[in-house]
Amino acid sequence: MCQKLVQLMQGKIWVVQNPRGFPQRMALDLRFQLHPSLGIVISEPGDFSEQLHHNSLFNGLHVLLADDDDVNRAVTQKLLQKLGCTVTSVSSGFECLSAFSPSGPPHKVVLLDLHLPDLDGFEVAIRIRRLRSRSSWPSIIAMTSNASEDVWERIKQTGINGVVQKPILLQGIINELRRVLLLQANKTVL
Amino acid sequence: MDGGVGLLQRQLVDYRASLFNEGILNEQFNQLQSLQDESNPDFVVEVVSLFFEDSVRLLNELAKSLDQRNVDFKKVDAHVHQLKGSSSSIGAQRVQNACIAFRSCCEEKNVEGCLKCLQQVTKEYYLVKNKLEILLKLEQQILAAGGSIPVQSEVI
Repeated sequence: MCQKLVQLMQGKIWVVQNPRGFPQRMALDLRFQLHPSLGIVISEPGDFSEQLHHNSLFNGLHVLLADDDDVNRAVTQKLLQKLGCTVTSVSSGFECLSAFSPSGPPHKVVLLDLHLPDLDGFEVAIRIRRLRSRSSWPSIIAMTSNASEDVWERIKQTGINGVVQKPILLQGIINELRRVLLLQANKTVL
Repeated sequence: MDGGVGLLQRQLVDYRASLFNEGILNEQFNQLQSLQDESNPDFVVEVVSLFFEDSVRLLNELAKSLDQRNVDFKKVDAHVHQLKGSSSSIGAQRVQNACIAFRSCCEEKNVEGCLKCLQQVTKEYYLVKNKLEILLKLEQQILAAGGSIPVQSEVI
């Protein structure tokens, strides 16, 4: 039955065996057409490419990514680009602040690692707020592996708008970006 | 020949599954794999190479730091934190877990414990490095034979 459905969708389905030769699980290869759509989508953990197709909200979104770890930066940047974002990547607090020049791209969202080598993320957030007038404030999303109470408190105090837990997962960043952008849009309307 | 590619693909899927079963890689690696596409066909190799370079550097720094008369545990912890971060980003679960244990020893300011942890992290690192090299080689073989890399959508 599954096989018939999958074949109608022009996909492939096969059984993956465990090392002992017993069927362990089914694997699926399906392709979906790109349909631009806005709005909230309840996504189940499942086909990765399906999640990407539902998010035209992020097309052309200017994101500034600040993370000093090469591996994290490469992965997060790619995640964001796959969502359609235009990403500027920096690896220190000072580079992050310098990226807010009048001639530079208009960053709408800053993805900020809280453990940067020169300035801590909270300090960077405070300084970003000082650089611009409230009407042109970017949204700031903190990235941290430690989501403890103290971290939460400081996040609230420094005007950071959101948090994602590291390691960054696609669904996590989609949810937080969406939430933060909605908040930003509502503020401008008011 | 299609038969050849099919066989390689099945080998890859099975090998990858075994790495997941042994807890060497986790779901994060699937995400990494899924980010690779025709516009960036070497993405996984690039990121994994970055991980190898960074890890070797950090392991060396750790050995140096623990060899000091007065060990700077803050520095040691900072290095371990970095290694934990990058290993978790690519899904190198055992390395990540070894780093978590390592951080406890740093907190206790226990040099002996830290040295043992360094041994463990180093061991796990070389294990995942070895396995990833085999995995990536299989992937390159598949691509060279004109096939595509099967994406794992879910790990049980």
